[in-house]
Amino acid sequence: MTAEAPPVVTVDKSQDSAPPSGVRAWLSRHPLAAYAIRRFGLYLVELWGALTIAFFFFRLMPGDPVRTLIQTLQQNYIYNAQASAELIARYRTEFGLDGNLFVQYVKYMEKLVLHGDMGPSLINYPTPAQTVILRSLPWTIGLLGISAVLAWIFGVVIGAIAGWRRGKLGSTITTNLAIALAHVPFFFVALILVYVFAYTLGMLPARSAYDSSIAPGITPEFIGSVLKYGLLPALSIVVIGTFGWILSTRMLMVPILGEDYLVYAEAKGLKGSRILTRYALRNCYLPQITAFGISLGFIFNGNVLVEQLFNYPGLGTTLVTAIQQLDFNTILGVTNIAIFSVLTAVLLLDLLLPLLDPRVKYWK
Amino acid sequence: MSEIVLDIKGLEVTYRSTHGDVQAVRGVDLAVRRGEILGIAGESGSGKSTLAVALLRLLKPPGHVTGGSAMFHPAGRSPVDLLTVNGEELRVLRWSALSYLPQGSMSSLNPVMRVQDQFKDVILEHAPARKDSLGELIPRLLGQVGLEPRVARMYPHELSGGMKQRVLMAIAVALEPDLVIADEPTTALDVTIQRVILQSLADLRTDFGVTLMVISHDMGVHAQLADRVAVMYEGRLVEVGDVRQVFKDPRDPYTRQLIESIPRMGRRAS
Repeated sequence: MTAEAPPVVTVDKSQDSAPPSGVRAWLSRHPLAAYAIRRFGLYLVELWGALTIAFFFFRLMPGDPVRTLIQTLQQNYIYNAQASAELIARYRTEFGLDGNLFVQYVKYMEKLVLHGDMGPSLINYPTPAQTVILRSLPWTIGLLGISAVLAWIFGVVIGAIAGWRRGKLGSTITTNLAIALAHVPFFFVALILVYVFAYTLGMLPARSAYDSSIAPGITPEFIGSVLKYGLLPALSIVVIGTFGWILSTRMLMVPILGEDYLVYAEAKGLKGSRILTRYALRNCYLPQITAFGISLGFIFNGNVLVEQLFNYPGLGTTLVTAIQQLDFNTILGVTNIAIFSVLTAVLLLDLLLPLLDPRVKYWK
Repeated sequence: MSEIVLDIKGLEVTYRSTHGDVQAVRGVDLAVRRGEILGIAGESGSGKSTLAVALLRLLKPPGHVTGGSAMFHPAGRSPVDLLTVNGEELRVLRWSALSYLPQGSMSSLNPVMRVQDQFKDVILEHAPARKDSLGELIPRLLGQVGLEPRVARMYPHELSGGMKQRVLMAIAVALEPDLVIADEPTTALDVTIQRVILQSLADLRTDFGVTLMVISHDMGVHAQLADRVAVMYEGRLVEVGDVRQVFKDPRDPYTRQLIESIPRMGRRAS
């Protein structure tokens, strides 16, 4: 818990008559650093709050994981005797289920924060949950991270051009297509892609993340295989994501085109391409950076289904398997990873924004 | 003084709407002479801003030029009709020959670009040869309108209304254009700043020899700044003449009303 305590910045609130100390004077001379520290403090509070809620939420789930484990063991090893109370107690301790809820919480947080330990995974006992998660994490980061960034770039660029050329045929078609497709769920597009490219045309594989006959490693064959297997799931996220970003970027772009500074840029006799990039796009992509951070959480949700559909060995598949088997440490672990990555992404974007937009000043 | 820079003949501008057309400018004939400051006066809706926007070719639908011509005679170039010139020819003409001074309270400056970059882009676009002298040129232009060189590194939101107006003035004359069209250059500024801005505009004429067309509803502005003044009413020119003559002996009853609308010290409001 002590590690979670945010560094409270008291600079601004200080009303005392004492002359500013060294730290305070330094902070007032470096407003950006002071802002970064305050924002980081807020990040720690958010992180702590979200992790706490997730912990108690999952402890409220019905079902007894230990009994499930013992049943599984009995089935697997045809071990028919009744498990001793001693054995059950040992498992309870090991899974962090002994003591009241608060004691469990303190123990869990201590292990998580100090040792990065999420407790043993039920399915893969005695492998710890974090090992299971770390095995699937790179796949999700690769798939989700790259697709989300690509969708954002495509969407903002196409959306800006669609707004810029509004009224023209190409722009109208793009806009209406985006309206129709922006809110279609990822998995629906994934199903269509699988049907067309994997089932009907047989061009691309629809399952797994790489050809199992190729040994994993940094070899051209393996990388090629990963790209080939990742194409369909990535495409489903990129396609839908792109349409969403097209729509919102166009919406931001159109009012900017009526701004005085665009008329002025035209009067200056600048080239159209320059007005588009330096005047129009520069003013409309900034809110989209914030929106990107917020969207990451939603993309993560959609990604779970996409991974499940493609049997992609990422976090989504791990999560679904864990839920089916009541592997609560892994469920909580995946949730914590999602919380951590979304909050961290938003933090980084917030720290980046004042550097990109001269008008953004969070500090005084 | 008598060489004509811009010769407007029979200019008509119409705004089309579903309730019928509205003619905002109805057959305006007006000549602008090189080196003069020509004031365009008139109340709101008299068509003076539409006239400016049409000449600058910034008129947006539903506004349309429905008639007339505006022959522009830039120095060292062949004369062109501003109302029909198009595409690349128009773009090249802009700023180097015909520039625009908008109202400073409007957000005409790009909020995410430093002031110096907003000088740079227009100078490099039309006079790329000046690239090496930019470091000296921008502070000098800012100095002409009474701004410190450090303003170059600032963003528009860090400037006051008066400072923005001066930056716009400095950008307007950066390429020594043949004609600057100023649309309400002092409106929305407080009275003391208005005087300073008017003085700077007059100085620009002395220093750069620019020809200025100043649109303003404020007769006081014309009295202080203009050489000649043209009065518009309901889309028509009702009077054009030397500023002293117009103020001393207005021929049109509307002009007389406009002049009487200038508040004077020591006279009770009625």
